Amino acid sequence: MEIVDLSTLPDSETRYTEFLRQICEKHDMDHAAYAGMNPAAGTVAGFVTYDDAWTEHYQNQGLIMVDPTIHMARRSIAPVDWSRLERSPDFQRVFRDASDFGLPNQGVTIPVRGPYGDIGLLSATRKCSKDEWRKLFTHVISDLQSMAVHIHDNVVSSDELTNVLYHPTLSTREAEILQWVAAGKSQQDIGDILSISHRTVEVHLRSSREKLSALTTPQAVGRAIAIGLITPS
Amino acid sequence: MIIVVDGLNRHLFSEVLDDMFELRARVFGGRLGWDVNIQDGKEIDEFDHLDPAYVIGLDDGGNVVAAVRALQTTGPHMLADVFSAILDGEAPIRSATMWESTRFCVDTQRLNRGKDKNSVSYATCELMIGSLEYAKNSGIQDIITVIDPIMDRVLKRSNCAPYDYVGKTAPMGKVSALAALLDCTEERISGIREFAGIHQDVFLEEEEALELFKAKKSAEINPANRDHKPLTELEKYFVEQMSAARNEAERQDVLKLIEALTDTFTTEQKTALLQTPRAFAHEA
Repeated sequence: MEIVDLSTLPDSETRYTEFLRQICEKHDMDHAAYAGMNPAAGTVAGFVTYDDAWTEHYQNQGLIMVDPTIHMARRSIAPVDWSRLERSPDFQRVFRDASDFGLPNQGVTIPVRGPYGDIGLLSATRKCSKDEWRKLFTHVISDLQSMAVHIHDNVVSSDELTNVLYHPTLSTREAEILQWVAAGKSQQDIGDILSISHRTVEVHLRSSREKLSALTTPQAVGRAIAIGLITPS
Repeated sequence: MIIVVDGLNRHLFSEVLDDMFELRARVFGGRLGWDVNIQDGKEIDEFDHLDPAYVIGLDDGGNVVAAVRALQTTGPHMLADVFSAILDGEAPIRSATMWESTRFCVDTQRLNRGKDKNSVSYATCELMIGSLEYAKNSGIQDIITVIDPIMDRVLKRSNCAPYDYVGKTAPMGKVSALAALLDCTEERISGIREFAGIHQDVFLEEEEALELFKAKKSAEINPANRDHKPLTELEKYFVEQMSAARNEAERQDVLKLIEALTDTFTTEQKTALLQTPRAFAHEA
């Protein structure tokens, strides 16, 4: 696979790296990184907030070939706390020097599996005690999951071929609910109208947002109207 | 006790996985009559090759008594593919915070019909607690689970009724299948815990699980204390009781008594005892 440096493309680096910085700020992380593999397009993409010194060291040493946060974490369906990888000799090899570069000691990698064999990995790290980390982890992990899918979908669909495959298909229920949102109804109202639970409405909305690569419901409504999945009211 | 086996640690638990695939063959191929592919007595499908996570229930002897499989809904999963009949041609839900759970099964042959630790009911609830907690700890908010109507009734009876359903009930061999929604919330988990009277941590650490399987193996190799370690008086008593037991109920009573006296024994002794008297009973 060839490595596509998306930072050479207009806006790409600033877009994705800025997104990672926002994740750090929002969730009290020191650094975040994303790595994505897209076999349909034959590409690998990576974005980090790390300092240049560490990024250079990482590249010069070819650490990407052995980095367990990439090669092991992709085999999990759940977020992998780095403490689970510590015993791997490859982990030692990659992170032995990490503290010299001022890198944090606690971290998590969230694996994302896409529909076409594509895999994305969002890592977030912070320098803190184990106790602090555990509390932070519990607090932010659900949102980090959504962030991971969001950045992955965006990176993958920036490839033209994959973008065609990624054409969002909403179920009748999902379109129906978005249509009611566009008409100004609250989730509670929609649940009552459709005789389904409030939580079911929420689940369908979450699914619609992700299929439309939107972080907010208004964004999702806008995009669904733009591509003709629902009609403006 | 529950262990989670996934792509990172499956090389350590290959025998446990084999036991689970055999259990699945008995349940889905045999009892439920689903149209599944069975080879060498194991039920394995294409999703098992995609590094899913398995939440597996074990009894005190280290035998697989229950299991379920989890996949992300962002990638390939069963509702998007083989179970699409349930969705009636509709696109499946895709969410970062929703997992799909399939192949929920319990060993109804090894377990009894009561409510104690070795019952179907206990193993079912323990597995539900384990899978909901594993998902919740991973930031997952909801599970979509593909089950048959019997399992649906079991969920309702166990204080774990689905909050909704997606699609319709579709025929699937001898029985039918449907997709139910479960929230991974503290309320749901404590509801099941309350119902089943399970208040302890259900998870077994990786090291503890490996110890348990080691003990199970050595008990299989040395079934009737062939290593001639001196038995304590209490151990002797249990072996005698086991030999004197005339039926399964009496044998179960002896095992229960050993369980009840757990504090008196070390873990190794307890495992050996639970295995050894059984071996004696077999020989008798």
